[in-house]
Amino acid sequence: MREKMKAKMQAKDTFNNALTYISAGLGVLILGSILVFVLSKGLKGLNFDLIKSNYWSENYLATVEESYQTNELNDEHSSAQGYYSTKWGIAIDDTLSAKGEKQLEVTYVSPNSPFAHLLNATAGENFEKPLKMHTGYTIEKIDYMTADGTIGLAGKILAQDAKTTIETLDKASTITSVYFKSAGGGIRGSLIATFYLIVISLTISLPIGIASAIYLKEYAGPTKINSLIRQGIETLTGVPSIVYGLMGITVLFPVTQLVGATTTSILLGGLTMAVILLPTIIRSTEEALLVVPKSLRDASLSLGATQSQTIFKVVLPCCINGILTGVLLGIGRVIGESAALIYTMGTFINDNPTILSQGTSLALMIWSFMSGENPNFELASTISIIILAIVLVLNIIVKLIGKRFAKQFV
Amino acid sequence: MLINAEKVKRNKAIDKAARMFFLAMALLSSSFIVILVLFIFMKGISPFLPNYQYGTVNLIDFLFGMTYRQDQKLYGVGFIVINTLISSFAALLISLPISVLTALFIVKIAPKQLSGLMQAVVELLASIPSIVYGVFAAGVLTDFVKWLASLFNVTTAGGSSLLAVILLLAIMIFPTITSMAITAIGAVDRDLEHASLALGATETQTNFKVVLISAKSGIFAGAILGLGRAFGEATAVSMVAGNKLYGPTFSLFDITKTLTSTMLAGLKETTGLDYDIRFSVGIVLLVVIFGSNWLLNLVKQKVGNM
Repeated sequence: MREKMKAKMQAKDTFNNALTYISAGLGVLILGSILVFVLSKGLKGLNFDLIKSNYWSENYLATVEESYQTNELNDEHSSAQGYYSTKWGIAIDDTLSAKGEKQLEVTYVSPNSPFAHLLNATAGENFEKPLKMHTGYTIEKIDYMTADGTIGLAGKILAQDAKTTIETLDKASTITSVYFKSAGGGIRGSLIATFYLIVISLTISLPIGIASAIYLKEYAGPTKINSLIRQGIETLTGVPSIVYGLMGITVLFPVTQLVGATTTSILLGGLTMAVILLPTIIRSTEEALLVVPKSLRDASLSLGATQSQTIFKVVLPCCINGILTGVLLGIGRVIGESAALIYTMGTFINDNPTILSQGTSLALMIWSFMSGENPNFELASTISIIILAIVLVLNIIVKLIGKRFAKQFV
Repeated sequence: MLINAEKVKRNKAIDKAARMFFLAMALLSSSFIVILVLFIFMKGISPFLPNYQYGTVNLIDFLFGMTYRQDQKLYGVGFIVINTLISSFAALLISLPISVLTALFIVKIAPKQLSGLMQAVVELLASIPSIVYGVFAAGVLTDFVKWLASLFNVTTAGGSSLLAVILLLAIMIFPTITSMAITAIGAVDRDLEHASLALGATETQTNFKVVLISAKSGIFAGAILGLGRAFGEATAVSMVAGNKLYGPTFSLFDITKTLTSTMLAGLKETTGLDYDIRFSVGIVLLVVIFGSNWLLNLVKQKVGNM
């Protein structure tokens, strides 16, 4: 009887323990599937060009240099994807643009190809300057002439796919003009905007946050007003970020108008983020202040230093790690934030952002093209990888600082 | 060395100024919440005032209306509040047991190395920004929902559904609740455990019947925090919620609309009724969050005293 009960108890224990293993396993599964998803979708889009290039593509209208016009290349060399024209030395493939639209992407241009020796045909300072078709560019329209003098068109403008475009081109004998676009889908502008955002929000948030933490830890006695101040700051953490966006547009927008902003702007986003970061900065500074031994303060005060001297010259230097932790956590928060910024920065992807213009941070850029008609998972995943990598590195540094800091006063 | 009276006086003045500066900054920090509520409230109630320039909205229709259509000027958030409550509480229902068991695993059951690894997993999940969760949900969870729906012979709007929102929120609040539960379980008095073990209970029995019960107050606090996060989650939810015009949504495979997705949906112009009403929705969101927070804290005090 007892044996039976014991066996039953053991079985139940095993079952309960197994439950905890399964729960923990679910957590690992979720993290794993998130990582696998973004890596599998986004890894192939991850390259240096992405960081350097603009999101919006540039349009070019060009003619072919006379000396390269009518040569028969018969260049057989092309291992590139898509369809290759041996006559014109160019390979084209059907791909999808960053916005999910069909496009004719150039995958290879032979060095002797007429397409490598184009002349800009748009009026302006670059008129008749040499141009070159690069891989990644997309072909919109090609005007050509056949040997018997018939004029024809080829390219995306006729909704042709890569195969028919190449077949049409092979019939041509001279190319009158080419209308093409440079490769877009880059994140340069968003990276710059994110950087501005981090700088603006931290410059404002750090002094206010550190000073608040100092007041709360070093000066504030247990009075009613002080507990109200504390409660006010703590309530800020419970406010969802989208509500901060509403606050930014009502409270802080007039502030940015004073310096000349006419629309939502990166400055407004930065100011809003500064408020969002306040509780984080205050908490990590407070935690650091808490660890500084009282004996240090007493020693300084007994040497005749005033309290503010003690704080600036003795206590704060000891807290530098805690403040750094707050800064790193803050950077992570700014990079990941989206909801508040949708209201305060707009969702227009800007390749040349300035502080008073609209722009998107990396996270906002994802939102901008994921909320459209044709969500682009590849680019979204690629940017997600970048965001995750930055956040991961920040967290590791925070961990390392925490470990070092724990030993500081032992 | 002589004491320089002039210098002492100056230092005292600086000291006083510094003190005032610190106080002013602290006051500024804490006044943001007041300013925030005040300004959003002022803008949010403007559509209900009689002299509103874009045509006054009836407050009762707004609060209890079951249709939200910009094109017909019908702004009722009653069903949206219900949708928000349904999705958040359902997410909590899924996430809470898993989080608590994971926390128990980390603190008490797992071998030391596995525990450290698992803790890192939870921290990583906590640090993933919501937009990345959104991309994941739109790419993976919607496919899962589509597959599940095909098993039941139901069609979905490309996987955007109440179920997708619930699963997404459950995933997103998992690290929040887990880390709170880890703290709570770690803080349980060792003496209690020893007493239980000495009475002949097995370690697993102690973990489940003594440790978890003693930590319930902290776990409850984690649940409240998680729920708050679920209510306020905006971008990721908007990516899988769909845009239901009437409701409430009870079917798992039907599209839904939450308070936050309402605030983000079709945001283009920055003037007009359609824009101002988002501030009113924001007030409702704040009321839902702080109201449920307050209510649950009352419950928590009751539970904690039991």
